Amino acid sequence: MERNEFDERLRDLLDGATETAPDVWEGIARGLDRRRMLVILRRFSVAAAAAAAMLAIALLVFRGPRTENQVVAPVETAQVSPVTIDEVPVAPIEEQIATFTQHQAVAQAKPVRTPVQPVAPAQPQPVVETPVAEEAPVADAPAETPAAVSAAQPAVVPVDEEAGKLGAEDLPADFWTADEASASRTRTHTSQISILSNLTTVSSEGGLFYKPGAMHSSSQSGKGGAYSLVEPVDSSPKFYMPLTFGLRVDFSLTDRLSIGTGLTYTYLVSRYDLLYNKVRYEDAYNQLHYVGIPLSLSYHFVQTRRVGVYASVAGAVEKCVSQRYVIGSETPKDAVRGVQWSTQAGVGVEFWFVPRVGIYFDPSLAYFFDNSQPLSIRTHQPLQAKLEAGFRFKI
Amino acid sequence: MREPSTYTEAELIASCVRKDRTAQRVLYERYASKMYPVCVRFLGREDAKDVLQDGFLTVFDKIDTYKGDGSFEGWMRKIFVNASLMHLRKSDVLRRTEDIAEVPEAGGVLEHGVLEQIGSQEILNLVAELPAGLRSVFNLFVVEGYSHAEVGALLGITEQSSRSQLSRARSLLQEKIKKLYNGKKRI
Repeated sequence: MERNEFDERLRDLLDGATETAPDVWEGIARGLDRRRMLVILRRFSVAAAAAAAMLAIALLVFRGPRTENQVVAPVETAQVSPVTIDEVPVAPIEEQIATFTQHQAVAQAKPVRTPVQPVAPAQPQPVVETPVAEEAPVADAPAETPAAVSAAQPAVVPVDEEAGKLGAEDLPADFWTADEASASRTRTHTSQISILSNLTTVSSEGGLFYKPGAMHSSSQSGKGGAYSLVEPVDSSPKFYMPLTFGLRVDFSLTDRLSIGTGLTYTYLVSRYDLLYNKVRYEDAYNQLHYVGIPLSLSYHFVQTRRVGVYASVAGAVEKCVSQRYVIGSETPKDAVRGVQWSTQAGVGVEFWFVPRVGIYFDPSLAYFFDNSQPLSIRTHQPLQAKLEAGFRFKI
Repeated sequence: MREPSTYTEAELIASCVRKDRTAQRVLYERYASKMYPVCVRFLGREDAKDVLQDGFLTVFDKIDTYKGDGSFEGWMRKIFVNASLMHLRKSDVLRRTEDIAEVPEAGGVLEHGVLEQIGSQEILNLVAELPAGLRSVFNLFVVEGYSHAEVGALLGITEQSSRSQLSRARSLLQEKIKKLYNGKKRI
């Protein structure tokens, strides 16, 4: 009997072989339950960690200004500087109104209504500032809130009452409307801290922006790292949705422009077949941990008391601080050289549901450059639609 | 509970994608007797039970990736082959080659008609008795249809080593088949 004939005969016999299997269903059912529980626990852990981080930062932001020793925000120092009525040269009210009219700086007549930038102390604010300082102690003067303003008002001579006494014809026509507009604009000046998280489109099945084709070869991006013992060989890798968390601080440059930077952390997980020490392994996991620094420029189209709309462009540099594979029971680590550069553009909307706390949503398109990083959703699908969302705090 | 036999293959797959436990049970009962011999071929009976369980867990985990390219049974079998190979690697059996050296090179040729007297269950037992390395090469090359280069990559051996181990596996199997056949003739 020839070899081929022998092989074919054995293949036929073995292909058709059936045998009553030992009953392992109970073990399978237990395994399925365990996996389901792990998925629930993992989701719960991520949600709990995010909630804890947000709560911790929210507590820091809210508790900070209430303690006298912790008053560090320039806006607070500018508004409630511990002056007495005797120390401030109070000009006659007619002279002050005349000064305001000349400079068209009408908004300054009501400094306690709006948060003032660090440049504010240079501006003349004598009329209402002094009575507030006199009536309300520094630590108890939440002058930026409307309630606090109304509480402080009885001690202050209302400006509009004074104007009534002087006669409205003595004031410019846009005196009151300009004040409101200015107050609105002032809100765009406010610097902000954002706690962010990202949702990213992930598709290995031909969805939006998916680029079908063979996986990157070992000479391109997507290799397991500079000194990698690992080489992906799977032509259909599976990617999980990246998890991104971070903090960003935005500083106002002008009325409408702001610049932002911060720190982000991103966790990427992929699953594919690979060669490890020249042995092929199926369905190995690859876990990447990136820390990044974004830099963004935003232009604010709309800024009302409750809603803001803006467009932004950004760039980011990220460094992979840890790469780990899960190959069966082995979990080898591998160093990653270089950094990941990316750019993104999008529009955003923010909602201020209380004066200093808001939520925001930033849908955007991001592009990840080919920087010889390990195979991940970023090398496989460089153009991604993202939705960043988070909490925003005025500082 | 729905009658297991009323599920078509497509319904069964769709229900398993939705993590329907009843459908998962039906799929297990429908395919366990076909997948168990695959594990036995690679691992022998002792370890096949564990891998059967792990293989089904992988099937339920990855069933959403089955796109209908090729038969579902073939797709499942690939998972069980991979699970078996993973098990062999974990136990480091593939690196132990001392038993391979003792096996003689291909010797006599099997006479015509001998294999017709041997059933699939008996062949399965004989293959399961082969040393792990020879068994793996034989299964991958002869039954699963991989090339020597692919077998080498899967097992971490050279192409040449794959060829020589296959030759030894054939010889050993022929010897075993002859013994079994002669024993049957005496009876």
